[in-house]
Amino acid sequence: MTTRQILLALALAILFAAIGYNSGRFWAYLIYAVAIAGIGALSLNLLIGFCGQITFAQGALIGVGAYSAAIAGNAGWGGFSLLVAGVVTALVSLLIGLPALRLRGLYFAISTLAAQFILVYFFKILQPLTNGVSGLVVKPLTLFGRPVANDQEYVVICIAILFLSWLFLARITRTDMGRAFLVVRESELVARGMGIDVSRAKAQAFLLSGFFAGICGALFAFTSRLANPEAFEIALSVDQTAMIIVGGLGSLTGSIVGAAFVTLLPEAIERLGEFLPVAGLVSAFREMAFGLLIILFLLLEPRGLVAFVRRLAARRGGKANALAARAPAKTSNRAVTAQDGR
Amino acid sequence: MIALQLAISGIATGSVYALIALGIVLIYKCSGVVNFAQGAYAMLGAYVTYALLKLGLPALLAVLVGMALMALAGMATERLILRRMLKAQIVSVMMVTLGLLIFFRAFCLAIWGPDQIAFPQVFPSGSIDFAGIFITYNYLAAFALATTLSVAFLLFYRHTSIGLMQRCAADNPRAALAIGIHVSNQVSIAWAASAALAGLGGALLATLGGLSLNISDIGLIAFPVIVVGGLESLAGALIAGFLLGMLEAFTEGMLSPAIEEFLRGFTTIQSVGALQQVIPYGLLVLMLLVRPQGIFGRAGTERV
Amino acid sequence: MSLSVRNLSIRFGGVAAVSEMDLDVGPGEIVGLIGPNGAGKTTFINCIAGVNKPDMGEASWKGKPILGLTPAALLRLGVARTFQSVVSLHDLTVLDVIKLGAAAHARHKGGFAAQFLGSDKARDQELCETLLAPLNLADVAYSQIQTLSYGQRKSVDLARALACEPELLYLDEPVAGLTLQEGLNMGAVIRSVRDRFGCSVVMVEHKMDVVMATCERITVMAHGSRIFEGTPAETQRDPEVRRVYLGDA
Repeated sequence: MTTRQILLALALAILFAAIGYNSGRFWAYLIYAVAIAGIGALSLNLLIGFCGQITFAQGALIGVGAYSAAIAGNAGWGGFSLLVAGVVTALVSLLIGLPALRLRGLYFAISTLAAQFILVYFFKILQPLTNGVSGLVVKPLTLFGRPVANDQEYVVICIAILFLSWLFLARITRTDMGRAFLVVRESELVARGMGIDVSRAKAQAFLLSGFFAGICGALFAFTSRLANPEAFEIALSVDQTAMIIVGGLGSLTGSIVGAAFVTLLPEAIERLGEFLPVAGLVSAFREMAFGLLIILFLLLEPRGLVAFVRRLAARRGGKANALAARAPAKTSNRAVTAQDGR
Repeated sequence: MIALQLAISGIATGSVYALIALGIVLIYKCSGVVNFAQGAYAMLGAYVTYALLKLGLPALLAVLVGMALMALAGMATERLILRRMLKAQIVSVMMVTLGLLIFFRAFCLAIWGPDQIAFPQVFPSGSIDFAGIFITYNYLAAFALATTLSVAFLLFYRHTSIGLMQRCAADNPRAALAIGIHVSNQVSIAWAASAALAGLGGALLATLGGLSLNISDIGLIAFPVIVVGGLESLAGALIAGFLLGMLEAFTEGMLSPAIEEFLRGFTTIQSVGALQQVIPYGLLVLMLLVRPQGIFGRAGTERV
Repeated sequence: MSLSVRNLSIRFGGVAAVSEMDLDVGPGEIVGLIGPNGAGKTTFINCIAGVNKPDMGEASWKGKPILGLTPAALLRLGVARTFQSVVSLHDLTVLDVIKLGAAAHARHKGGFAAQFLGSDKARDQELCETLLAPLNLADVAYSQIQTLSYGQRKSVDLARALACEPELLYLDEPVAGLTLQEGLNMGAVIRSVRDRFGCSVVMVEHKMDVVMATCERITVMAHGSRIFEGTPAETQRDPEVRRVYLGDA
């Protein structure tokens, strides 16, 4: 990752922050919604795309972050609520990840499914803590003693945090720890053979991923002003997984692109639906499009949008380049095939 | 006797869980994939059967045609989509089946709307009185049908030549190919059978509780069943289905009220909500910690 | 003797994959381990490399017992290995893979902070000079593994194994998949690596030409046991070895 890339990302961040700050509520909402989803997608990609640990518990973990931040924020902890959310969620994520040290991929994935359901259940019944099904009202985030006044200010905050998260995780991939993740993903046997402590690598992945999922949840709670169990059901896990698949497993930038795609698509379809006579069917069509999108993407371009764009660019750059760009598509997807899963 | 009443209702719903779980295990054995869309097949099957009944078909015919149509749907899914993803990563394949679930749900939503629909009477109304408990004919019929078909399927799998071919193809595709078994056909058959069984399960669930999109949730309830029974064991799916059906019934009927009473005494928590839906997952976690291969699974396939 | 293995046996199910196998490697020696397919060579290496735990036998490296140690522990004792299949690792570059190898040894791994902040460029340079240049990989230091040829990837794996300065190196079929000329080149590289780093090498291989040209001593394995040990010339002349390879003539 070059300095040029960082500067480009920074420029984009400043651009979108500026646009968001100067727009009406609707566009501001769209931008921070994408930013928040992006943080979540980054965290999930770290776990699934980089370290190969399949998990369905993302929704619940974001929920843990949301509730932690809400409780801390309501108690007057201000900006620290974000940190609290990150740390608490990191620990819960580690707890959920412990079975990964002993169970094989598929069984572990199922255990995360259980964790997802169990956590949301606790959100619903731990009335004294979470206010149960009615949801917990969240007071606005206070930073440096001053409450955030409106959506436009949230946009700037969310984009700033997205940029920092992206930068942080990108740097992590340049360390031995990050590289170890990739080897663990490809083959635990080879990882061990290279002297990598596989258990430690997985634990680190769960902690890091959990931290950022917590931040995502915290921002979600503050911007929606409500922490409500229904928002963190398995549908959220599915959404987030769709984002990283569309963007490209193992691509940090792809996570953000995927987040934008998946967040904005329903909005686009809603607009389209206004032109069609079948008003009542809009939500059904939106869901059908979502499902179809997931299927088509996985069938036709499993490496996600970022790889797709790179391939197109490579083709323009000449045949030789295109050949080089094609090779990755065959080798990099090797990780865990369907046959390996038994 | 409340306990017996709960047991009966648990066995009835459990028999349907078993039916769904059978399909998931079948597909897992031969494709190595956990089919999230199984619940969608159940839901589709219910709606399709409903449509056929509305068209005037007699009950038995509607159910059979419904199952046949679902078999076609399963086969189509396998041929069109799963076959193209043989070399893909597991998470991708699972997401595809999730995508199918989302798509089918939306499809049913588009055609039949979001509200619950009363399912036409398929079985005679009324109930029998058995040792002081009332068992509606609905429950009885659902139980009988689900169990008969599950057991019949198990026997078919174990004792017929097609069943043998299925088992060969599932255990060792290369060897199966070597001895002339058309493995990809067997895989299609497995998907078709799973979808058909799921469709029937969905229709039965509709007779018990009404027709709605939520029938697809049964696909998720199936996970505790297959973990407890053993991911690769058909018999395990059957038995675990009954076990979990009963666990759910007893939780709702006895455990939840007891816990609520206890909690009300010490905390401000008033209700334990849908504990019966979560307890199976608690059991799942316990199983994974203690005996991950399930009751009937072979050890050694699931640990790293 | 630096590496001494005695009576190593392991069974998989009902099959004795390795049966009372012995091996000796002196300091700085290049020993070839050859034998027909199914002789148990890779299984044997896996046993002394910490992948499998043998049922019976002893192995010691520089006097310390090594059976049952994990690969990580072995790396700390200076024992490294290459892998038969070259794993393609996402979009890692050559340098990334080398650093992975170096990370296994506390003395050689880079500092987390330096890597995180991107200030470890000097280390990159150093690794380039010491590890990549001798293996003709200096030009591709920043290239992604996926873009390299098969032969280059094998060299990268070798460099990775060398990154923590091992004193004993297991090479698992280092020239498989290479042409004859590439194989002989690799053989020369292995010799130069040994000359430069002073490590002992155990080389499992099938390509006779490369083995004969590169190794100083050869151990022949058949049906899980050692059937011959000697110089390349002696090995080629031995009737038992010829019988095992060529069948009863």
